[in-house]
Parts: sequence; C-alpha cells; structure tokens
Amino acid sequence: MYVAAKGGEEAIQNSEALYGALNGALTLDMVRAIQEGMPYLVDRVMGEGSLYAPELAALALAQTGGDLYEAVLLLRAYRATQPRIAYAHATSADKLFTVRRISAAFKDIPGGQVLGPSLDYSHRLLRLDVLDEERAALNREDAETTSVGTRHASSVSAPSAVQSIPSSVTNTTDAMNGVPTSTYPALADWQRAQGLLPPTEPEQIAPADIPDVTTDTVMFPAPRAHRLQALARADTGGVLALGYSIMRGYGLIHPTVNELRLGYSEVELTHPVTGAVFSVGRVRVSQCEVITPDAGKQGYMLGFAATMGWNEVKLIAASTLDMDMAANDGDGHAAHSEEFVMYHTEPVEASGFCIHFKLPHYVTFASSLDNIRKMAAAVGWDDGKGAQTPGPSAAMDEAEQVG
Amino acid sequence: MSFPQSQYLSILTHAPAEQVKQTAEALLNSLGDITVLVNRTGLVMLPYTDTVKGSRFHLGEVLVSESRVRIGAGTEGYAACLGRDLEQSLAIALIDAALQADIATESLTAFVTAQANAQREADAALLHEVEKTRVELETF
Repeated sequence: MYVAAKGGEEAIQNSEALYGALNGALTLDMVRAIQEGMPYLVDRVMGEGSLYAPELAALALAQTGGDLYEAVLLLRAYRATQPRIAYAHATSADKLFTVRRISAAFKDIPGGQVLGPSLDYSHRLLRLDVLDEERAALNREDAETTSVGTRHASSVSAPSAVQSIPSSVTNTTDAMNGVPTSTYPALADWQRAQGLLPPTEPEQIAPADIPDVTTDTVMFPAPRAHRLQALARADTGGVLALGYSIMRGYGLIHPTVNELRLGYSEVELTHPVTGAVFSVGRVRVSQCEVITPDAGKQGYMLGFAATMGWNEVKLIAASTLDMDMAANDGDGHAAHSEEFVMYHTEPVEASGFCIHFKLPHYVTFASSLDNIRKMAAAVGWDDGKGAQTPGPSAAMDEAEQVG
Repeated sequence: MSFPQSQYLSILTHAPAEQVKQTAEALLNSLGDITVLVNRTGLVMLPYTDTVKGSRFHLGEVLVSESRVRIGAGTEGYAACLGRDLEQSLAIALIDAALQADIATESLTAFVTAQANAQREADAALLHEVEKTRVELETF
C-alpha cells in the first residue's frame, strides 16, 4: 500500500547541499572537461538516455557526480520536455563515415579492416607517470608562485584530428586526392552474395510508421523494430550480464564477431520549403553483428545490435542476445526470452524500481510488523517485551501525526 | 563556385557556430524585414537499418535547434543543427534565405567554400589517421 509522507524539508535541503559540497562545484569548465575528455562515458549516457546531446549528457554526469543511472534519468527527463519535430532519413552501415571496422570471422573482407581508435591491443597499465609528472610540475609551480586554486588540465590528450568531429563533405573515396575511403560495404551483403546468409531487402517503411517503444505498448513477441530499439537504449551492464550468461554456457551458440563498426552518421532532414535533403550534423553510432552456424538450416545466422555512441561491449552482448532470442530453444533460460531481456535491461525502469525501495515504506512495513507480532503472540513466541516497548512502528505513527 | 542548397546547408550546419553567427550578423541590414516563424529546440528521431532482416528501427533521438524565417519579399529560409544553440540555427536559416533570394551571394559562397575546404581537410586528416590502423592479418 502506498501512502503520502511529508516532512523533513530542511533535512532534504541540507542533504542536497552536502551532496554538492562533497562533489565539488558544478561549473561549465567541469562540463566541458567531461564532454571532451570522457567521450565514451558521454556516449554511454546518450545511448541509454536515448538522446544524442553530448553537452547535456556531460552536464548530467557532472550534476550527478558521475552516477550513471541518475545521469541517464536526467537525460530521459529532459527528453520528455522536448517535442519530436521530425524523423530523419533512415541510415545504414554502408553510409557511415567509418573509423573502425573489424571482423573476427574473416581476415580478408571487402574494404579491409581498420582498427581505428582502440585500446584493444594496448597494455592495461595505469599511466602513473602522468600523475607523477603533473604532481612534480604542480609542486614546482607552487614553489614558484603563491597563487592558489588554479585547475591544471591533464597533460594527456588525443590527437586533434581524432578529437574533432569530421564534417559532411568527404563521404566517398577520393582516389585522385589520395584520401582514404570513409565508407565500407556491409560484410553481410558479401556473405549473402556467397550464399552464406539468406537474402534480405531493406524494409520499405516511412520513418514515422516504424514501431516505437517510446510511444507504443510493447507486446510479445515484439516487432523486430521494438527489440532492436530496446537493445539500443538498454543498460550496458544488464545487457552484458545476460549476454555473458549465454556466452559462458547458458546458450547453445558461440558468437563470432562478424563485423564491428564505429562511425559517424549524418542526420538528414528534408527542407520544409524546398524539399532539399541536408544533414543537420553527424552523430557517433556503432553497430555489431555476431554470426554462428544455423543448426536448423544450411548456412549461418546473424545477430545484430546498434546504438548511438560508441559502445562495443554492449553491442557484442546485445547482438548475441538478439541471435539467441531468435534461436530460442525453449529451454526456459532467462536470456533466451525476449520478454525477460527487454523488460530487465531497461535502465531507467530497472534502476528506478530498485532505488524506490529506499524511499519510505513505513506503513507497509508497519503492517507486516503488526502481523509478525500477532503471529508471535498467537504461537507464544512473544515474551511480552514487544507489546510493552514502543517500537519503530509506534515511533512512526507519532511522526506521521506530527508531519 | 556555387553550391546546391542541400550541400551548403550541410556545410553550414557542420561549421563552427560563432563563425556562422558572425556571417549572418553581417547580413542583417541587407535582408529587409525579418520574420522569425520558428525558433525552437526539439527532437529528431534517427531510423537505422538492421543487417539481419533489413528491418528499420529507431536508434534514438537527436537534440536539434530549428529555425524558419521569412525575409523581405517573402523568401523563407530554414535550418536545423545539432544541439540547443538557437542563434546558430537562426543564423543558418537567415543565410539560407539570403542565398535563395540571391542576396550577398558572392560573399556567402566564399564563406561556404572556405568552410567546405576546412571540413574536407579535417575529414582527410582523420581518414589518414584511420588508414594508418589498417591491418593485414595472416593466419598460421
């Protein structure tokens, strides 16, 4: 039973003030530092928040002290205040301005493989030298000057070309000028040409008619559009846990990454007056396919997932889940169930339900406490103390009367 | 060099916001009466294509600022760009209207050309960095 509670306004205000004091001042500099220095964290918040807005995602992270679920909630809440003004033209892998494309299934794929920006092949060692050098420089500076309070930026930065968001102009191979290609064909298309995958055609549907989990009632079995949208905005940790359970032994498949791709997608709109199609900007997107032999048919089957932002681990796990849900063998494991996966990897609903348990449940708990005491008295467990000593329930009754 | 509308709008939306605003600011006196029809932030849903079955699905929404203006004799300019900078989209919409009405075409085309070159160079620089990571794998 839910009842309203009130009281504690001063304590709540002091609590928020303490939170702010312990997390440091919320400043534009901090927001910019997060946006520029932690793009993968910003991507994760945007992906799960289902809203591409790097500055706002960085603000959400700064405002919440880096609490991911709170940051995602803030972004989703902001999203709810904005009207949907248009649908962009549909895009696809072969149109992406691609900066990373690898395959674990084939070493020679049409267009080749580029590692792009990645730490996959690096030593996982903390760069303590950065701290030591910065600290030494700071100490030297402190010794030379009496100024205090200056924030020192990290000396580590990515190459400028990698940090900059590329523009809209160069989208094709420019062999005459020696500029490498920015687009790559879909590996799956080549596999279909080889007869390794069943043929398929892009669905012809107006963007506004695509099923949408943010406005539709989700029913099961869900339309594929619902499943893929839900995975795109799913909680990274939740998807990873369920996907890992399949990889580790609760699935009947061994996923192999067919193609993993990071890139930028143009967001194309139609000019409402002239009908010209133009790009309003580029957004970071990533997609992954996993492949496994299709036990029921000749050839292979694919799993697929994509999201806004670059989030490789989420997509490998999500595409594995997609494949396993498609091949649901009916053994009852949770990760094979579309309903289980979609409902339990929704970050705002899951985290919201979880943290609501810390909010006052006094009446509910008092009710169960009364029942326990009645039972104890009925079977003779009560030694008399419970009836004589004012317990939490009685104390709350007083508080509620005062409140 | 002139640009079709789809191309100059794409170049302007990718250009540094402050430079675009300064360019639009310099135009204001030559545009006649300006009516701002739309100037707001909103969401654009981005559909994506699944490679397994070719299904279309929504990847997520993108925050944009959107502006629509009418100038002088009635030419309407429009723009939308990433983020929530209403001045940026308003500036691009004004430039769009100006180019459609053939106002300050020479200077605006020069600006767009400069931006296009800068963006092409940035793209090329990034792609060269990416190309350095191309791998040729061998199996044993």
